[in-house]
Order: sequence, then C-alpha cells, then structure tokens
Amino acid sequence: MRTLLLTELYKIGTRPRSYIGFVAITAIVLLIELALWLDGEAYIGFILQSLEQSFDVQGRILNGQLVAFVILQTLIVQMPLLVALISGDLISGEAAAGTIRLLMTRPYTRGEVLWAKFTAASIYVFLLILWLGLLALGGGMLFFGGGDLIVLKSDGLIILKEADTLWRFFAAFGISFLSLSVVSTFSLMLSCFTDNSIGPIIASMAVIILFTIIGTLEVPLFERITPFLFTTHMIVWRNLFDFPLDIPLLLRSSAVLVGHILVFLGISFYHFSKKDIQH
Amino acid sequence: MRTVLITWLAYLSVVSANAQGNPKQLLQAVNRKFAQVSDYSANLNMQFNIPSVALEPVSGKVYYKAPDKFRIKATGILFMPRQNPYYTLQSIRDTNAYTAVFAGQEQVGTVRTTVINVIPYDNAGELILARLWIDPARQLILKSQLTTKTNGTILVEQFYGAMQQKGLPDRIRFSIDVARFKVPKTVAIDLNSKSKNQSLPAKGTGIIELSFSGYTLNQKLSDSVFREEAQGN
Repeated sequence: MRTLLLTELYKIGTRPRSYIGFVAITAIVLLIELALWLDGEAYIGFILQSLEQSFDVQGRILNGQLVAFVILQTLIVQMPLLVALISGDLISGEAAAGTIRLLMTRPYTRGEVLWAKFTAASIYVFLLILWLGLLALGGGMLFFGGGDLIVLKSDGLIILKEADTLWRFFAAFGISFLSLSVVSTFSLMLSCFTDNSIGPIIASMAVIILFTIIGTLEVPLFERITPFLFTTHMIVWRNLFDFPLDIPLLLRSSAVLVGHILVFLGISFYHFSKKDIQH
Repeated sequence: MRTVLITWLAYLSVVSANAQGNPKQLLQAVNRKFAQVSDYSANLNMQFNIPSVALEPVSGKVYYKAPDKFRIKATGILFMPRQNPYYTLQSIRDTNAYTAVFAGQEQVGTVRTTVINVIPYDNAGELILARLWIDPARQLILKSQLTTKTNGTILVEQFYGAMQQKGLPDRIRFSIDVARFKVPKTVAIDLNSKSKNQSLPAKGTGIIELSFSGYTLNQKLSDSVFREEAQGN
C-alpha cells in the first residue's frame, strides 16, 4: 500500500501541472505583499477614514497578521481550481492514457488504488495549504512584523489580540484543508465516471464557479439553496476570525464538509469498484 | 452668528454674574486644583463600545505632564478620542481666552452642579463651545460637552474617587458621535459575506471608558516619555 501511495505521489510530482498551483500561489502572495508594502498605509487609511474622523486609531495596523488575512481572503476562493487541476484526472487521466489497465494488473484491489489516489491528492492539498501558510503568514510576519489583527468586514471591524490570532490561522488552514478536500474528492468522483482527462477538471471548476455565484448573489431564490451548497460551507474559515466565535456554525459547517467528503468518496469507491475498464 | 451668540452670552454672563458670582472664578478654582499636579503616571484600563467595531479591553500605562503632554502606552490597536482627557481643562486654563456664562444648575447623579458655557474668542480654534457641569463644593468638572469643528460633539463624564483632592478622576467616559462604518465589499475583500445591518442608523455613539489606578504624582517625568516610538505600538 505504501508503494502504491509513493507511486501516486511520484506521478503527481512528475506532472508539470502540479506545480502551477505552487507557482500561482507564490506569485499572488508576493504580489499582494508587495502591494501592501508600497500602498498598505493608504489602503488602511481608506478603510478607516470614517472612524478616524472621530477617533485616533493607535497601534501597528498594517502587520503580518492583517497581510495574511487579506491573502487568505483573496486566495482561498481560487484554490479549489488549482486542486481540481490535479485531482480531476487522477482516474480519468490514467484511463485516457491507457495506463489504468496496467495499474489494475498489480496485486492491489481497486479500493486500495482509489484510496492511494485519494491520499496522494490529500497530501497535495496539504502541501498547497502549507505553502500558502508559509508564504502568507510567515512572509507577512517577516516583512510586516506582528500585531493585533484587524478583521476587515464591509460593515464593521473586529480587532483580535495578537496572542489570539495564531491558533485561528492554524484552525483556518485546517478548515481550508477540509474545504479543498471536498473539491478534491468531488473531482476524483467525477474522474471515476469518465475516461476523458479534461472533462472532470472543467466540470469541477464549472460546479464551483456556479455554486460560488449562487452563493454570492443575494437573490431570495438562491438564498434558499445556498445552505445546501458545499461552497457555502467552504468559506466558514472566515468565521474563525469572528468575536465571539459561532462554535455551532463552525462545527455544523465542518461536519457538512466531512459529510461531503465521505459521500463523494463513497460514490467514487462504489463506481470505481464496479467500473468496466475497457481501455 | 458667532458674534451674536457671544454678545448674547456676554449679556447673560453679566446678568448671571451679578446673581451668582463670576463663572470664571469657579473655573479658576477648578484649574487651581488640577494645577497641583505637574505630572503623573498611572495604570490604565480602556473599554470600548463603538458601533461596528469589536475591540476587547486594553490595559496600559498613562503619562501626563503639565501643561499638555499626554501619552498612553499600550500594546496593540486601540481607539482613542482625538482630544486628550484634559482637553477641557486645557481649554479653560487661560481665562482671558473665552467667555464664560452661567447656564443654571443641574443634577448630575447625586450632585447639584453649576452649568457653565465656555465660548472661546479664537474663531480658528478647534473648540466651538464647551458646556461644563461643575460640582461647586468639590470644584471638580463632572461632565463636559464639547462641540468641536472637526469631531462633532463629545460628551466627557468624569467620576472621582481617592484622587479627587488633586482633581484626578478614577474613570473618564467619552461619548463620541460616530458615522456608520461602511466600505465596499471589494475594498474589504469581503465578497462572500451577506449584507446585513441595512437598517442601522447612519450615525451612532461610540463610548470609550478609561479607568485609572495606581496614580504616581509629581515625579518629574522626562519629555522623552512622551515621544512616539518608530512604530505605533
């Protein structure tokens, strides 16, 4: 089983597209950090201008915590697309390349093969989030220093003490891992249904974009659907930066995400174990 | 309009001065009491209740040096009134710089206070009008309402305890007009949040409460204490 997992990791590691995510994250994070380094004070000034008419806001507002938070806000919405790029062709890519029959001749059950692919995809997701965390939080702290975190919202601000932020970031990365694992298993599931390499990737992206649009538009019809979309629960990491914490909401959304992973994985196992492999 | 107001208040001042004595004498008495303090340091706890801003209490250290140096040292982000807590006392120090008018008597808590309106002569200054509620027996300002050019109206309530002999409060509560906080979602990068609080008023009142303890008086504080460090923490 370990050999199978290492083989899957090797396959992911040797594909150039696996590095698109890391390159994209690096470029975006460095770009945001550079922009905030140059114009961050003006950006903060614009946000706080209505409050600064009445108050003297003291302290280091533009700091590593705020930079990391801004980066997470910007990037985590886009990251599912980077994940789907890898997990969407884990099975269908093999089918399209004709290597799946060869894979099935090895002394492993189909369940073990799928499990190895799922685990490899999860490790990829973990590394992607780890890289994001290192660049966003580590880079932010390195270039901007620490301090209290101002959580920016369009209709208010929450100020969290510096000592109270680090665990929230780690928990946010944890929930992001769950969220991206939903995308990963969703595209893996689609990948089991087709022999076309690109189809599941495009389909996963389309579903995420559609669900995100439905979740963003404040139309009464959509608002009834929104709680049932997994994309709604994927952004619950933001609620970790609320004060006070809405623990039931966090637990509910995390449970919904885990539920989605189990359902998508269950369907994948069921279909893949009965799949008629012809190519 | 300002000239008419000053003339009218000056007239009232003359009339009431005959009836109640000169309001500037009471203000001078208040000043004299506070003048016993040339500098102090104290522990400070700040509590905030500002519409649209969630901020936990902050503790720190406060330093004051006469006539107008004031500094709060605390770690982290905090919201402070734009005027320092002794802005009122600073504004009434020079009794030749304003007109003072008795405006009757009012009850503040259990104390019967004398109300005095102060109108500065300087049109270019930040302060337009100060309304002071003074305890004549203890010669302490219990409440002041400051109308300023740029920051609207600020209500400052002072609560005294052990240090009242020196005119130093245990607690000061600022009530400040605050415009409703609203920035575009794209600026706050808050794209996925649902709109709420649509029915909130355009303005609210922000409250900042400063609690002082452990006063150390007249220790000849150095001016370097009041210099800002490179970073605002």
